[in-house]
This record gives sequence, structure tokens and C-alpha cells, in this order.
Amino acid sequence: MMIPVRCFSCGKVIGEHWEEFEERARDGEEDPAAVLDDLGVDRHCCRRMMVSHRDLVDVVSPYQ
Amino acid sequence: MADEFDVEFIRGDDREARILVRGLTPAFANGLRRAMIADVPTLSIDTLRVVENSSVMFDEMIGLRLGLVPLTTPDDFEYGDTVTLSLDVEGPDTAYSGDLESSDPDVKPADEDIPIIQLNENPSGENQRIELEAEAVLDDGKSHAKQSGGVAVGYRHLRKVSVVGDRGEFDEEETNILRGVIETEDGELVPTDEFDHDLTERYPGKELEVEDVPGAFVFHVETDGSMTVEELVLRGIDSIESRADELQEKVAV
Repeated sequence: MMIPVRCFSCGKVIGEHWEEFEERARDGEEDPAAVLDDLGVDRHCCRRMMVSHRDLVDVVSPYQ
Repeated sequence: MADEFDVEFIRGDDREARILVRGLTPAFANGLRRAMIADVPTLSIDTLRVVENSSVMFDEMIGLRLGLVPLTTPDDFEYGDTVTLSLDVEGPDTAYSGDLESSDPDVKPADEDIPIIQLNENPSGENQRIELEAEAVLDDGKSHAKQSGGVAVGYRHLRKVSVVGDRGEFDEEETNILRGVIETEDGELVPTDEFDHDLTERYPGKELEVEDVPGAFVFHVETDGSMTVEELVLRGIDSIESRADELQEKVAV
């Protein structure tokens, strides 16, 4: 639904980087790996949180 | 064990650092690591009083997300002390951790840009809204991972790399991967990411010998933002010390 606040495995706070990642790598043209390096999301456990995430709030909100 | 420890800061900032400590036993190094993860208490949101929640998430889900937001933790709190925070956001907007209003100016979210919940307009035309009061409590990482100040705290041996000769003329060039921090023959400390963790990048065509330096540990300490790395290490040491004192007191009748 929303990006998790922390990485499931190591506990690093990753939620704060999601909006920039989405803007630059998902909607933009930049290489996701380079964006994650730039954001300081180094470990592969934290990187999978960002790479595999999908926002669903807009999908479910008509059914409230 | 040595009477004095030799501590050297290799590099880092407030949130993440590498620290070399000499003169430790493996047991003490591990004790310090565990103290930083599980015995240094931090403040985290634990209870909510929800006034209104018309968002797409249940109260419990919002509660979990708020609990995981790191809060700055001054050292004058006792176990079980609480701080009240409040959140009041109306859509269409996103509620961020920075929207939390704290009753104590020293206790505030360490990161202000963590999205808590996105609030839209309902099909009926009403705006989704969230209003709640939250109690943050001081507790340690043994009760819940959200109370742990350290993130991925660990250590490796310091490795000494010495050149013992040239590589044989017809030997195959193989990568020689090593992670952590090495000590060169001149006593210089070099983090391995400076040469892409590959010793053949730094010493091309040489035959090397790599051995652990006894009693020297390189700690990698990262915090969630509730305190600085320096404070986390010091509070970890304080916690070991106070428990050792307590043991001594109980044993000496």
C-alpha cells in the first residue's frame, strides 16, 4: 500500500527516500541502481524494498 | 585483557561510522555489539488514541508505521517514561512524520519526510482525514525492534596485508576479494571499498599474505537517527558498565 517505513531485514529507515526514487527512477529516465546509490540505500535488503514496491493507495481508495 | 583500549575513528558521520578498537577480546567486542543493538533504550510510539481515521489503512497499520518512525532520544529519560505526540492532517495531502507535533521540544521525529499515509478524496466527496494522539515510551531493543537505536551494527577483524613476493610469471591473475579495513605494511588503515574490495587492484602482480591482527576490531555502527553514533557507542558502554556494577554489588554480600 504505502512504502514500508523501515527495511524488513535490517531496520534502516527507507520510507523517506521513496518519493525521490519514484520521481527519478520510476517516472523519470534515470538508472534505478544509480539513484539508489545516490540516496545512500546500499545494502541489497534495503534496495529490494524500493525496487519491488508498488503504491496502492490510489487503487483502493474508491472502495472505502 | 589490555588495561587500555586504543580507539581510532576511521571515517563516518552522525549516522554511520567505522571505528577501530584495539585491545579487545572477541567476547567483549560481541558484548558491545549486543549492547548497542538491544540494551540502549530509545523512544518509540507505542500507544495511539485515534480520534478520526478515514484513510485507507486500519488504525493498527497506522500505529505500526508510527511506531517505526525514529524519535530523537535525549539521555535524561528513564525506562517507561512517555512523551505525547499528535498528528492532524486532512486530505488531499500526505501525512509525513514531520507533521507529528511533540509535547517535548527535545523529542521529535529524526526524519521529517517519512510518508505515513496518503490521504485522498473519498468518492462521496469527503476528504479523508487522520487525527490522533500517540504515546512514545522509552524501552530497549529486547522488547521490540523499533526500540533499537542501532541498525546493522557489526564488526570484523582488522586484517594486515603484507607483500611476500611477486606473483609467479605464469600464474593466473585471480581476484582476491576482501571486505572491511586493511592495515598496510606502513601501518596505514585503508577501507577496502577504496580499491573495490579487490586486493589485486591495489597490489597488482604481487603475492600477498593476509592475517588477522589479534585483538583489533573494526566496528561498523549505524543508527536509525534517534542518537548519534558517538552517543550510541557511549550509551552501550554505560549499559555494560552499569550491569557489571550491579553484578559486583549483588555478588559481594
